[in-house]
Amino acid sequence: MADVRSELTASVFKIEVAVGDRVEEGQPLVVLESMKMEIPVVADRAGTVEEILVSEGEVVEEGAVVARLAD
Amino acid sequence: MSHVWSDEIDEIARRLKWAEALGGEDKIRRQHENGRSTVRERITNLLDEGSFEEIGALAGFATRAEDGTTISVMPANFVFGLGEIDGRRVALGADDFTIRGGAADASIMQKQVDSERLAGALRLPLVRLIEGTGGGGSVKMIEDAGYTYVPANPGWDHLVENLSLVPVVAACMGPVAGLGSGRAAMSHFSILIEGISQMFVAGPPVVKHATGEDLTKEELGGAEVHRRSGAIDRIVPDEKAALQAIRDFLSYLPSSVYETPPVTEAVEPATSSDALADVVPRNRRQPYRLRTILDAIFDAGSNFEYAGYGASVYTGLARLDGHPVGVVATDPYKGATMTPNGADALTRLIDLCETFHLPIVSLTDQSGMMIGLQAEKTASIRRGARAVVAAYQARVPMAEIIVRRVFGVGGAGQINRHRYNRQWAWPSGDWGSLPVEGGVEAAYRAELEASDDPEALMQDIHRRLEAARSPFRTAEKYGVQDVIDPRRSRELLTRWVRDAYRLLPELVGPPSFGTRP
Repeated sequence: MADVRSELTASVFKIEVAVGDRVEEGQPLVVLESMKMEIPVVADRAGTVEEILVSEGEVVEEGAVVARLAD
Repeated sequence: MSHVWSDEIDEIARRLKWAEALGGEDKIRRQHENGRSTVRERITNLLDEGSFEEIGALAGFATRAEDGTTISVMPANFVFGLGEIDGRRVALGADDFTIRGGAADASIMQKQVDSERLAGALRLPLVRLIEGTGGGGSVKMIEDAGYTYVPANPGWDHLVENLSLVPVVAACMGPVAGLGSGRAAMSHFSILIEGISQMFVAGPPVVKHATGEDLTKEELGGAEVHRRSGAIDRIVPDEKAALQAIRDFLSYLPSSVYETPPVTEAVEPATSSDALADVVPRNRRQPYRLRTILDAIFDAGSNFEYAGYGASVYTGLARLDGHPVGVVATDPYKGATMTPNGADALTRLIDLCETFHLPIVSLTDQSGMMIGLQAEKTASIRRGARAVVAAYQARVPMAEIIVRRVFGVGGAGQINRHRYNRQWAWPSGDWGSLPVEGGVEAAYRAELEASDDPEALMQDIHRRLEAARSPFRTAEKYGVQDVIDPRRSRELLTRWVRDAYRLLPELVGPPSFGTRP
C-alpha cells in the first residue's frame, strides 16, 4: 500500500478516479487548485485506488495523504 | 630473501590487516544485518577500481602484552584518503560504525580534521560518508579525563573554508546525529537513504529526555521528515543510489574554485525539439510536464535534480552540448508559487553555480512568492528576497527562456534583469506586475457599477486585456528580447553556453562572499 500525498496546501478542485480503479504511474488521481492553477496529484506508481481521503472543495495541507494505492 | 628492514615491512602488513578488520566479525555481521555496508565496502563501491590511497591506516588503540609487545591495534573509526571517481582525484573520509557506532571515544580526531585539510590543500572535491555521531561519545569520557572543556567543533575552520574552495558532498549512510549531522549540513550536496539513514541534531533518547517527545529514529529524522525539511538535498532508495548520486553530482563541477567546470562530449537530447511546440497547454490553468522540456533542451541523461525540497521550484544541473550549467525551472505539478523552501532551494543552486562557475539557465515560470498565513509565518518574503539577492550577486552568465508566467517580486527576481542576459520568450509567455485574473473587478469597479450590463462590459474588458497581454505586444516595445519558436530553444542556448564558457576564466577563484550551507 502506498500513500499519495499533496505537495502543497490547496483546495480540491476535482476527483479524477474512484475507489477500485486501476491506475497507471503518472495518472492524475485528484486535481488541486491553487493560485488559479490546476495542480494534479498523480500516482507515483501503478496500482488500484484503495481509498480517497479528500472531497471536492476541501482544503488539504502540504504533505497530507490524499489517496492510498494498493498493488 | 631477507632485507635489512624485512621485520618492519612485515609489521606494516600485520598492522594493515588489523585496520582492514574494522570492529571485528560480529560488528560487521550486525552492520550487514541492518542493511548497511561497512566503511571499506562503501569506499570500494564508490571509487574507481583500485584507486583508494589510504592515509593513517596505522592509527588506532593498541593492546600490549606485559613485555610491551603489541598484541593488536583497534583502528580509529574513521577511514580516509585519496581516490578517483571517473578518473578524477577526490578526497574521501568515512565513518566506521562498527567501532563504537562511529563515536568520538574510539576516534583519533586529527584524522577527521586531516581529511578536511587534505581536500583544501590539494584543491580536491571532498566526499564525506557519515554514519553515527562522529563526536560526543559517552559522558564516561568526562570521568576518565577528570575535566571538561569548552568545545570547538574539530576542524571547522577547514570545514567552513572548504565550502568556498572545493565541492563537498555529504552522504548520511546510517543514523547521523550531533557533530555528524553538522558535517552533513556543511556541504554543497547532502544525501539520505530511505529507511536506512536518519539525520537529527540529537537522537530519540536525548530528545525524549529534553522535550518529552517520544519518537523513533525514523519519525525524528527519516526520509519523510527530510523530504521537505530543506536539510537534505536528495533522498535515495539505497546505498548504491547514494554512491551514484555522489559520482553524478561531482561530474558537473570543477575540482576546485580555481578551475572551470569539466566540459565533456556533446550528447543529443533524449526528446525531439518538436515536443516543445506542444508542451505548454493553451489553457493557462493547466500544467505542463517539466520533464519533457528538460529532456528536449539538455543533453540526454544529464538532468540532475539538485535541492529536492523546493516543491514547485525545480533546481538542477544539466549539460548543454557537454557544458555543465545550473537550471532553475518550475514544476507545475508540485505547486503554483515559490514556497519559502523553494526560495531556499533557489538560493542554494545559485550559490553553488556562483561558487563553481556554472552558467545558469532559467526556464522561467514564476508567479511569485507563496502567499497566505503559512507563507507569512515562515518568512516567505525574506526567504524569497534572499533568493533574489543571490541572483543579483551572482556573476556567472545567465540566460532565460520565459516558458510561461513572470509575476510578482519572485518572478521579477528569479534572475537579475538589471544586467545583460540573453533572454527569449515562448509564445506561451504571460507576464506583468499583476495577473489579469481577479484584478478586473477592483480596477474597473466604478465603470462596472455604472454599467446597465456589467456582465457584457466585463467580457469586453477581458477581451481588451487579453489582446494587450499578448507577448507580441511586449516584443513590439522591445520589452522582451525575442519571442521564439520553442523548438529553437536548444539551438540558441547551445550557442549561448559557448559564449558563456569563454567568460568563465575571468571568474575563477573563491567567491567574493564565503559560501554558506
